[in-house]
Amino acid sequence: MGPAIEAKDLCYTYEDGTRALDHVTLGARRGRITGILGANGAGKSTLFLNLNGVLTPTAGEVLLDGAPVRRDRKGLTELRRRVGIVFQDPDDQLFSADVYRDVSFGAVNLGLDEGEVRRRVEDALARTGISHLRDKPTHALSFGQKKRAAIAGVLVMEPEVLILDEPTAGLDPSGVSGLLELIGRLRDAGMAVLIATHDMDLVPLCCDDAYLLGEGRVLAAGTPEELFRDPELLRENHLRLPRIAHLMDILRDRDGVDADPAAATIGAARREILRLLKEETK
Amino acid sequence: MGTDRWAYQSRLRRTDPLPKLALSMAALVVCLCCGSVGVGLATLIGMGALITGLGGVPLRVYLRFLSIPLAFLVIGCATMLVRSYPPDAQVLAALPLGGRLWGFDGAALAAAGRVFCTALGCVGAMYFLALSTPITDLTLCLGRLHVPRLMVELMELIYRFIFVLTETAGHIRTAQASRLGYQSAGRSLHSLGLLASTVFLRAWRKADRVYAALESRGYAGSLATLPGDYRPGRGLYLLALAAAGVQLAVFWAERRLL
Repeated sequence: MGPAIEAKDLCYTYEDGTRALDHVTLGARRGRITGILGANGAGKSTLFLNLNGVLTPTAGEVLLDGAPVRRDRKGLTELRRRVGIVFQDPDDQLFSADVYRDVSFGAVNLGLDEGEVRRRVEDALARTGISHLRDKPTHALSFGQKKRAAIAGVLVMEPEVLILDEPTAGLDPSGVSGLLELIGRLRDAGMAVLIATHDMDLVPLCCDDAYLLGEGRVLAAGTPEELFRDPELLRENHLRLPRIAHLMDILRDRDGVDADPAAATIGAARREILRLLKEETK
Repeated sequence: MGTDRWAYQSRLRRTDPLPKLALSMAALVVCLCCGSVGVGLATLIGMGALITGLGGVPLRVYLRFLSIPLAFLVIGCATMLVRSYPPDAQVLAALPLGGRLWGFDGAALAAAGRVFCTALGCVGAMYFLALSTPITDLTLCLGRLHVPRLMVELMELIYRFIFVLTETAGHIRTAQASRLGYQSAGRSLHSLGLLASTVFLRAWRKADRVYAALESRGYAGSLATLPGDYRPGRGLYLLALAAAGVQLAVFWAERRLL
C-alpha cells in the first residue's frame, strides 16, 4: 500500500523572503508513526501547515493516496477533513470555553447531521479518555487534559492522517506515556500518524519511520535506527542521539566494545548487553 | 470568576438556558416595575429559594454573593437617604449642622427603602441566572434569540481568551516580581507598562496561531458548534409565571395594607 500522504518537491517561502521549505519530499504510511525530526526553525510547523492546506506551497504538491490535492475550496475542505493537525499549545486550538462544544466544532464544519456529530463527539471523547471532562470549562482543565481535548477536537473529523506538533512538550512523565499509548492505539487503528519532535528519547519509543529535517530540506530518511547510525549528522543539526543510543555509541568508540549504536530503547539495550555478556563468557 | 464555578456545579446546569433566562428576566422586570419594598424582598427570598432548592447552591454561598453588591447598595442608598432640611422641618432623625438639619424624614426613608429593596430583588433575579448558567450556555442562548452571530462569537472568544491572557499576564508579572520589578512605585509603573505592551504583542501573535488552528479544522467564517444535551426545562416557564404571580400578589397586598 502506498503512503496515505506525500509531499513532492514541496517549497514554501514566507512573505518576508524566508525560505522555510526547500524541495521537501516525504511520505507517511497508514498504520505507522512517522517522525519528523528537526531543531527549532527547521521547518516542521511550516511543513505541517502545508500538508493540511492552511498554507499554500510556493511550488511542489501534496498527494493524498497518490492523488494530487486540488487547491480549490472543495479540495481544501477534503484535505482538512482527511489530514488533522494537533498544535503544540492546546490553548491555541481550544477556542471555546466549553469542552463538548469545542470538540464538536470540526464535525459541525463538515456539515454532518446532529446525530452523527454527537456520535463522533462521544467517540472522540472516549478515545482520548476525557468523557468525564465534558461538563468542565476549558480553563479548568490541566495542561495534559487540554492536550487530550485538542486531540479529540481533531479526531472528531475522523482524519486518515494525524499530525502532532511536539505532542509531549510540557507534559509530565505519566502524561507522556499516556499520550504515547493513545498515539499507538490510533496507529493500530490504521491511521497514518506524523509526529514533529526534537525530543530524541521519544523517537525510538514510538516512531516506525523517521525523516531528518534541517533548514527546510530532508537530510536523511529511514527507520530511527538507521538515523541513529549517523550521530554526526544529528549533531550538525542541533539534535543528539537518544541517551541510551549515546551510551552504546560511547561504549563502541571509547571502550572498543562491539555495541550496536542503534540500540536506543531500554529493551534493545538490554538485549545488546546480554548478547555482549554472553560473548564475553564464551 | 466565582459565579461561573458554581454555575458549573448547579443542578440546573444541564437545563436548557432559555427558560432559565426567561425566569430570571421576568422576575427582574416585574421587580423593577413594581418598585416596592415587599416585592423586592419577596423576589430576593424567592430567588434564593430557587437557587438553593432547585440549583443546589449552599445558602451560605448565595449570601456571600449577595454581600458583594450589598456594600455598593448601602453606600448608594445612604447618599439618597440623607438630605438637608430647614431647622423647623419634621424629621425622623437628624443632626443640626451649620444652621440646617442633616438627616431624613419618612418620605426619604420610604424612597431609599424602595430603591434598596428593588435593587436587591433584581440582584437576586440576576444571581438565579448567574449561578445556574455558564457563560457559554448563555451566549449560545443569545444566538438562538437571533442576536447577531458576529457579536455572540466575539463574546465567546473574548470569554475564552480572558483566561488565557490573565494566565499569561500572571506569568509575566511573577517573572518581573522575581527580578524585583515591583520594588518601588516608579519601578512598578515601569514594569506594569512593559507587562501591558508584552501582553498586547503576545495576544497579537496568539491570534494568528488561533486562526491557523481554526482553519485547519475547517473554519469557514462561522464558529458553529453543538452544545451538550440539555434537559428541556419547560417547567421553568411555569415557575416564571408563578413567580410573577407571587410578585404581583405581594405588590397588591402591600398597596392594600398601606
